[in-house]
Amino acid sequence: MIRDSKFFIENPYGRWVRDNLFSSSSSAFLTFFAGFMVIYSYRGIVGFILNPERMWTSVTYNMKLYMILAYPDEAMIRVWLSVGLALILGGLSIGFYNSGKTISLGGIFQKLFTISAVIAILIALAPTNTNVIQNDGSIEVVEIIPQDVRMLILGPSLVLTLAFFFLRNVKIKNLFNTAKVNLTYFGLIIASLYFIKIPTISLDSSGERIIPDPFLPIASTTYIPWTILYVGMLLFFFIGSLLKNRDIKIMARLIPISWFLCPLFIFSWIFKKPLVELNTVFSADIPSILVFGIIGFLIIRFSDNESVGVYRTPINIGFLILSVVVFLLPLVFIFKATMVLLLLLLVVSPAIATTKEGKRQLFIVWVVSLFVLTFLIRGASSDTMLVTPTGSIFGGFSLTWLLAIFGTYASFPLGLALALGRTSTLPVIRIICTGIIEIVRSVPYITWLFFASVMLTVFLPAGVEFNLIIRVLILTAFFSGAYFAEYIRGGLQSIPKGQYEAANAIGMNPFQRIFLVIVPQALRTIIPTLVGSVITSFKDSSLVAIIGLFDILRIGTSVIPAQSQPVVFIGRNLEQLVFLSFFFWVFTFVFSRRSMKFEKRLGLGER
Amino acid sequence: MSIIKTVDVKKWFGDFQALKGISMEVAEGEVLVICGPSGSGKSTFIRCINRLEQHQEGEIVVDGIELTNDLKNIEAIRSEVGMVFQSFNLFPHLTVMQNITLAPIWVRKKSRSESEEKAMELLERVGIPEQAQKFPGQLSGGQQQRVAIARALAMEPKIMLFDEPTSALDPEMIKEVLDAMKELAESGMTMIVVTHEMGFAKEVADRVMLFDEGLMVEENTPNEFFDNPKNDRTKLFLSQIL
Ligand SMILES: Nc1ncnc2c1ncn2[C@@H]1O[C@H](COP(=O)(O)OP(=O)(O)OP(=O)(O)O)[C@@H](O)[C@H]1O
Ligand SMILES: [Mg+2]
Repeated sequence: MIRDSKFFIENPYGRWVRDNLFSSSSSAFLTFFAGFMVIYSYRGIVGFILNPERMWTSVTYNMKLYMILAYPDEAMIRVWLSVGLALILGGLSIGFYNSGKTISLGGIFQKLFTISAVIAILIALAPTNTNVIQNDGSIEVVEIIPQDVRMLILGPSLVLTLAFFFLRNVKIKNLFNTAKVNLTYFGLIIASLYFIKIPTISLDSSGERIIPDPFLPIASTTYIPWTILYVGMLLFFFIGSLLKNRDIKIMARLIPISWFLCPLFIFSWIFKKPLVELNTVFSADIPSILVFGIIGFLIIRFSDNESVGVYRTPINIGFLILSVVVFLLPLVFIFKATMVLLLLLLVVSPAIATTKEGKRQLFIVWVVSLFVLTFLIRGASSDTMLVTPTGSIFGGFSLTWLLAIFGTYASFPLGLALALGRTSTLPVIRIICTGIIEIVRSVPYITWLFFASVMLTVFLPAGVEFNLIIRVLILTAFFSGAYFAEYIRGGLQSIPKGQYEAANAIGMNPFQRIFLVIVPQALRTIIPTLVGSVITSFKDSSLVAIIGLFDILRIGTSVIPAQSQPVVFIGRNLEQLVFLSFFFWVFTFVFSRRSMKFEKRLGLGER
Repeated sequence: MSIIKTVDVKKWFGDFQALKGISMEVAEGEVLVICGPSGSGKSTFIRCINRLEQHQEGEIVVDGIELTNDLKNIEAIRSEVGMVFQSFNLFPHLTVMQNITLAPIWVRKKSRSESEEKAMELLERVGIPEQAQKFPGQLSGGQQQRVAIARALAMEPKIMLFDEPTSALDPEMIKEVLDAMKELAESGMTMIVVTHEMGFAKEVADRVMLFDEGLMVEENTPNEFFDNPKNDRTKLFLSQIL
């Protein structure tokens, strides 16, 4: 038998092949069958991509459209600054949270070996010809990878594979920090913008398309911004490392907060017409934040004062009445919203602000949420930037991203609140929360989208007019919030009774018990589910195309295939679909990978 | 001066009466061991003392405060009474150190550094200072139970309740937990211990009680309880367990 030959028993690779691919005759059959399928589809895909019929310039040329729709050129700096903000924060956190994990030179070579081996195999298996359907229906066979081209790639990659195969085992003591190695990879990708050419469009003076010059760098509009951003990122990586070495504790709290606020900031940055209306900021926003901030501070400060405690119930009731009145009065929306926030503070502060630490934290939360609320309401109700014939400047990947991030942001606390409400012992709260969850969940998302586009305005308080995107956001928050609520409720139910008893036995009050003991555990158990639903809402955001928003999918399927200027892309559907599938795949793949790592890290305390 | 006093405490679960009128007193610094067959209401009774269960009739006074539905009283008593459970009930998402400091910081309103110092002291006292940064899931059962004891002690309680603290443990770990409890008893803590460890009862207890079917059928000094029981039920119980 071949299976028992020396190679398959003594060689580690041979043994792996024997144990994993050919462990029995049925598994050998499956291996051959699957291998055949994989190679067959791979050759089909390559044939499809390299088919001379494809016009991939319809993708590359429209990259900006895909990313941010018709965003005005003169304002593009805002987009770049936003990306820069994210990268800088990224660099800072990579530096600050650097786990100090290292990889040896051998490890790097091992990876390079795998990569070059895969390239060699792929190019060796690639098809030489593909079929092109002619206008009269006949099929012509066209050569897509000439033999010399194949050799030109295969040769070097084989040489590299061999070289790395031997270099893999070098015993060099040098260890490299993984974070730095990854940053270097990223740098290499950006450096490649200077060299690698993606076909793009250039037109001659008469408007005719010129076949791109293969020696001109292509990403001519983006490689300079990317370089600058990369340098900024590096800089902040080193600042982060420095802060880590100095052991500056406050950063551990500041960085997550910045990450949380960063999308809000970017959002208003990209979305608003004047960046800040200084008038309103100074005459309305800052005074209101100051006044409410101080009231909140006083509430927190005196919340566990005995003499105040006696009057707590009348104060709460008075405030409840007051905030209802405020809500009914024809006041500015922002004032109403802040009043409700204040009421919330009044209710929770006696439970949370029992310690110095609790007071301080509650105050920080208070001020931050005041800022965020003011900022959001101002941002949401101010004019948007230029409006194009499509009726919206905001679209493409930015819209998808916006819906996904804000959907998660808003729906998570909402879901938590609904879940806690549904498990509450107070019947009124329980019934309301159950009602919201069940109603929202029993109607399809698409129906809700139509509701957002035509009906939501009717339900909003007078004088508030939200942009369609904001309305969709509010709805998405409720929709995924209701689903989150059910997941979280499942998590809450999985917490054993003993945890409640232990928390009670050490004298915790109900708030402390819920937020320090129960909720953290409940959330931990449902992280995989939550990640799954975030991915789902990322993909589902494509549905907004139905109510007239231009998300990335709609751009790919109906905007670009209708383009006749400056080059005819009419009917170029297939290219867009391939690109979009790849694009979505990359994002969801990276995201689920990241979250798996995150789960592992949290799993440390598993019982 | 009795620190715990119960008068005719009765408790029903639906139609089933778990406690049929328990009256007893515990003096400050006393170690009381409660034993009895399964289902006799031992757990129910000591859980009534810190109001994890609610009694329906009778009176329970702990450290001068009567247990009523007033939330303030309940929280006040719970921070005076530490409890150790059969199944440890540590918080799995927090490290040992965080488990111990959680209540002092949030309930007792102490500073973090002070609480951590105190927690280290307690961990040394129960013999596992080196485990402070681990998670409960990474510890053995005996170590977990000792963390649970340290967590209860961190609140500086006047009274400690133990509900079968060793019955979920492998035999070789029982001793380390009993040693920690013994040391605690010697330091003058008021303790009520529900246990089947008769060796511990003989050696440490000031008084031993036997519960049966919701009633306290015998109350005696350890020597009398084991060598010279008054009640036939006690004789039967001892013959089964020893
Ligand atoms: N939550 C509950 N609902 C209904 N019945 C209960 C409940 N808790 C306890 N009981 C019943 O009350 C009785 C006393 O229970 P308890 O747990 O106090 O017994 P125990 O003496 O601690 O027994 P063990 O040695 O097995 O722990 C048992 O018959 C039990 O079935
Ligand atoms: Mg019991």
